[in-house]
Amino acid sequence: MSDWLKWTAPAAAVMSIAAPAHAIQYMSVEEAQKAAFPGASFAEVQAGRVWKASNGGYLYYDHVVGKHLLIDYTVAIGPDGRVRRVDILNYRESYGGEVHDPSWLGQFVGKVSQNELRVHSDIRNISRATLSSTHLTEGVKKVLTYHASHFR
Amino acid sequence: MPATSASLRRAQALLGTFVEIDVTDAHGHDAESAVEAAFAAVADVHRLMSFQDPDSELSRLNREGSCRAVTVHPWTYAVLKTALDMAQQSDGAFDIGVAGATPSRGGSPSETATAAAMELLPNDQVRFHHPAVKLDLSGIAKGFAVDRAIEILQSRGMVSGMVNAGGDLAAFGPDARMVDIRDPRFPDRILCRVDVSNEALASSARRFDPFRSLETADTAVLEPSTQLPAGGAHGATVRAPTCMVADALTKVVMVAGKQAAAPLARFQASAMFLAPNGDIHTTPDW
Repeated sequence: MSDWLKWTAPAAAVMSIAAPAHAIQYMSVEEAQKAAFPGASFAEVQAGRVWKASNGGYLYYDHVVGKHLLIDYTVAIGPDGRVRRVDILNYRESYGGEVHDPSWLGQFVGKVSQNELRVHSDIRNISRATLSSTHLTEGVKKVLTYHASHFR
Repeated sequence: MPATSASLRRAQALLGTFVEIDVTDAHGHDAESAVEAAFAAVADVHRLMSFQDPDSELSRLNREGSCRAVTVHPWTYAVLKTALDMAQQSDGAFDIGVAGATPSRGGSPSETATAAAMELLPNDQVRFHHPAVKLDLSGIAKGFAVDRAIEILQSRGMVSGMVNAGGDLAAFGPDARMVDIRDPRFPDRILCRVDVSNEALASSARRFDPFRSLETADTAVLEPSTQLPAGGAHGATVRAPTCMVADALTKVVMVAGKQAAAPLARFQASAMFLAPNGDIHTTPDW
């Protein structure tokens, strides 16, 4: 087979460049509230963490933090106690330790309105081996357990 | 004020990974609802074709397919059809039969494991050839889901959009999207950057989870003949007209390495892969 072009190993190694921290903000908490319970008003039940919607639903804001990955997400729970939707608000991957910097955790919350989101210019796309979303699923389960013991 | 927003980017946990959708809308179209509908299509594919979920249509087929012909959703049928074609075109390097699909049992010696495992009947019906058959669509369903989501964004009048299901992605619209391809050996490094425009791109590589560590594990792609992790490449990236085809072809390249040239050409795809010795190989049209 001669129909492949080959870059030999040294050249290939040079091509590999460090991935800078990769951060994306998708939604604000307010947008997540609106998406989950359109038209509802919200009362803060726990500061910056739990809101009760006027229709009887609840919205939790939480994050899962790993070694190099931080995900902020919201879980909307309907008046029936079932998960209505889960939205990812912020996604950050970093290999320089910033993920565990406390200033990171609150950095994005509620800042951006959708009109400020810039899609093409400063936000990167990555193709890679599939990342597992198991940890987020575990986080949602924890929120549900908490909800069942506190607000039902 | 969704009606005036120019662009929107959202993410959901679906298909066992993170699915990201971004759009630029045309005036008078509702980007929010288009993105919601696209996510809903991805969730539909998940419900139909998840191997892990016992309630999925695929799980039902895996339970009942050897007893009788099972009618499946047209989407499931379409994916099975492409999987069968891909298995044939790749001489069995692509294989959705995970258990009990012994090649050439009762068939011709050249028959692939996938073809030996199942038969597609008219009217969206599927039948298995022997009791132990189980099908796993993980190597192709994610790409199919991306294609369905793209279709919906286009039908809702979006000017441009991109759907990225954990690295299997497709984009449409006037502007090319820049995509970084991760180095499969060192996931904190980027191997190269490519422009994606009105096409799909999928990658397969050793697994890693930035939530837990930077260490990579073996690839999830198994060599059908040995059931061991694929040895043809460390990682592979394929560009193709559809994401379903790109997704499936990454597995072919991971298993067959350079031998994947023929199936790549057959599906109008191009590829780049990192060989076990560290060399990078690309098709001439990459």
